[in-house]
Amino acid sequence: MEAVTRMPSPAPPALPPPPNSYDEHRSARTPLVIDNGSTNLRYGFATSESPRSGLNIVAKYKERRTNKPLLLFGDGVDVEGGARIQARTPWEGDVLLNSDALENALDYAFIGLSIDTDTVDHPIIMTERLCTPLHSRSLTSELLFELYAAPSVAYCVDSVMSFYQNNSPSADGLVLSFNTASTSVIPILDGKGILSHAKRIPWGAAQSADYLLKLIQLKYTNFPTRVTSAQSQWMLHNLCEFAPDYTSLLRSLNSPDALRAVDRIVQFPFSAQVQEEKTPEELERIAERRREQGRKLQEMAAKMRTEKLLQKETDLQYLLNLREGKAEDTKREWTYKLQTEGFDDDSGLDDAIKKLESDLKKARKKEAAADGEDAEEPSFPLVDVPDADLDEDGLKEKKKQKLLKAGFEARARARKEKEREKEERDKEDRKEEEERQGDLGGWVRKMRNEQEVLMTRIKDRGRRKAALSDRKSAAAQARMKNIASLAADDRLPKKKRKGGGEDTFGANDADWAIYRKINTAAPSSDEEEDMSQLAMIEQKLLAHDPSFTPQHTHASLASKRSELISTLRPTYDETNVEGLCRIHLNTERWRVCETWFSPAMAGVDSAGIGEVVQNVLARFSDGEKERLVKNVFLTGGPSQLTGLVPRLHATLRPILPPEMGINISQAADVSADAWRGMARFAQTEEFENVGVTRAEYDEHGGERVRRWWGGNWN
Amino acid sequence: MPPKGFQRKKAIASDGTSTPQLPSLAEQLSYLENPRPFKNPNYARKTFRRSKNLKAVLTQERERERAERERRRLEKMESGMEVDGEEEDIQTYTSIEAPPSLLPQKHYCDITGLEAPYTDPATKLRYHDKSIYELIKGLSASAVKDYLAARGVNSIVK
Repeated sequence: MEAVTRMPSPAPPALPPPPNSYDEHRSARTPLVIDNGSTNLRYGFATSESPRSGLNIVAKYKERRTNKPLLLFGDGVDVEGGARIQARTPWEGDVLLNSDALENALDYAFIGLSIDTDTVDHPIIMTERLCTPLHSRSLTSELLFELYAAPSVAYCVDSVMSFYQNNSPSADGLVLSFNTASTSVIPILDGKGILSHAKRIPWGAAQSADYLLKLIQLKYTNFPTRVTSAQSQWMLHNLCEFAPDYTSLLRSLNSPDALRAVDRIVQFPFSAQVQEEKTPEELERIAERRREQGRKLQEMAAKMRTEKLLQKETDLQYLLNLREGKAEDTKREWTYKLQTEGFDDDSGLDDAIKKLESDLKKARKKEAAADGEDAEEPSFPLVDVPDADLDEDGLKEKKKQKLLKAGFEARARARKEKEREKEERDKEDRKEEEERQGDLGGWVRKMRNEQEVLMTRIKDRGRRKAALSDRKSAAAQARMKNIASLAADDRLPKKKRKGGGEDTFGANDADWAIYRKINTAAPSSDEEEDMSQLAMIEQKLLAHDPSFTPQHTHASLASKRSELISTLRPTYDETNVEGLCRIHLNTERWRVCETWFSPAMAGVDSAGIGEVVQNVLARFSDGEKERLVKNVFLTGGPSQLTGLVPRLHATLRPILPPEMGINISQAADVSADAWRGMARFAQTEEFENVGVTRAEYDEHGGERVRRWWGGNWN
Repeated sequence: MPPKGFQRKKAIASDGTSTPQLPSLAEQLSYLENPRPFKNPNYARKTFRRSKNLKAVLTQERERERAERERRRLEKMESGMEVDGEEEDIQTYTSIEAPPSLLPQKHYCDITGLEAPYTDPATKLRYHDKSIYELIKGLSASAVKDYLAARGVNSIVK
């Protein structure tokens, strides 16, 4: 099962091969062959062995460092993020649309071929999309004739030319062309493409890769790195395959073991966190340092406190001296003195003195409390003295003492209460302990029962909450009924109510619970209580019941995932950085390729390959049908995905008479065979008759082509 | 366009040589300054080319197909139904598009990809078994929407 594949990191783009010498082609009018595919551009002279090629993508941008404008083609675009963003392709999905990018790409091609004459003086043969939109053709023609001044241009369909390269010129066959953004079915009889019966499915490798990316994003919502579409393309080509029978494959994957067996793990790059290992001595040293710091702080605080206290004492002494000196001064002098000290009058001075005194008293008390724990019981001597024996001040003082005494007594009571509670708890614990020691089995049963009851209660509450969110559920309807009857005031006529008072709502405390029940938003206090009790019980069970493991706790039970889900998407520990950067592919491996046979799975309302082939074949006679299926020819990049041939066989066999032999073959070189076929054809005599000349272009415009066996008819 | 840009860029490059530094990989890969003698310097692009988007092109194509069919029909009527079946149908980009599928659609689990015998009435998600149903119940509305969108079902906002 441990089939971990590392996601390869892209290599920096290589410098293009040195340009070929133009000498042998200069003014030789060697045909120029261009396979303008939506992914790759392949170009070269017809006499070359194989084409030069590159990704059909250009980027025009300004380099940030030097502020220099740059123009990049193909892989070179990947050299910098800035270029990647600016990149444009001549194609928009399946349609050639962007003539600026096409011009840049063609420039690159002609520079690579070292063409150094005034014009591109070569007859050109170029591919175009099956039944291409005329707009695309006219913009291509315009560039080739007007910008590059080509003498003649012939257009052909790439998959037909790939068929031509792999078969004899008058062969029959059914071409299945797997392109980047579409898949086409083209019947060919006597070497001639029957384009009137051709069909195109708007689904290609790009859509499949997108679909895979979408599935991955849904499966791994919090993936630490961004999965790029280039990476999903890589996964599509390396890990995905066609299932000969998708339904039975899915049935075979029903068990977690089977799923585990087909699981493929893609390891994305990750950076492991380096954790510093600290020795015990180091830890001890750090703790010691911390303690030292704490002590220092405490000392400083204490020092500050004593300093403040001293300051206050001297202040008080000074003010007291000042007050005593009042008698010796004249009234004027006294006022002046007061004002220089910052007091308005005598009462201000008195207030300040009083405040200082009380501050000092408090501080001293605190110090005393810190020294000796329990302060002696304060005495309240005036409380028991009858009022009659007291003057006005005495009465005031008595009132104060009464209050103080009450507070003191209340505190004492609370303390006692607490002690009693603790005692009770201890007693209970002891009792339970005894019970446990006497009959562990019984105790465990009891505790587990309690846990069970609590968990059911919590679950029921959750269920009720879920039911309330559905307007039509019984619980929600009952709630609405309650609200209605509470709001409706027709239980008694108004007059009767005034006199009789027969409304007994509220007489029983439980009546009020109805308001709690109808308020769905309010958090229930029972819930918290249950949770805390559950936690306590679980703690006890964990401590004393050996068979009770952390897996039995409510928390782990609630977060438990089914085996199926955890097999499809195994989880990794939070700290496992390597694991968190992993993608598990299992059902996706076939699900993604299945879309070619039923695009509806991914939301494209179109027949799949099987159905389209059936429709196409239905338009031919049995004899022709036999000739076609004898040579089913696959071309284009995605046709290399594993399992396509068996799958097609399994799809075609049931829709054809049993005596018809089916033969499925693949292009020898899916990427370059179309170009080679074009190059071979360009060297035949026939080539001269299929192109549009400059004169014809001037006469009829860029949309007109000659009809021939390898080209479009529209 | 490049011919005129070409000269301008050259001027900038000669200014920059005062600080000699190795050209970056991107600069080495750039072919902006390679000479392009084969291009017609007097070529002026027909302006309408740029503004067309995919939708417009496809609409135009469909329109053309319709007009063509109409023309053919008129011709046929004029010539009195004599020459039919002679010329093969000319196909256009839009007419060769595969029709919608007529086969019954199989249902697959939106979460796992396995067979899905059930559909959740609340979210309309298809699911494989009860453990997946438990998972669906815990999904947020936006997650449900994403799952449905992957199948091409776009929920209508009421």
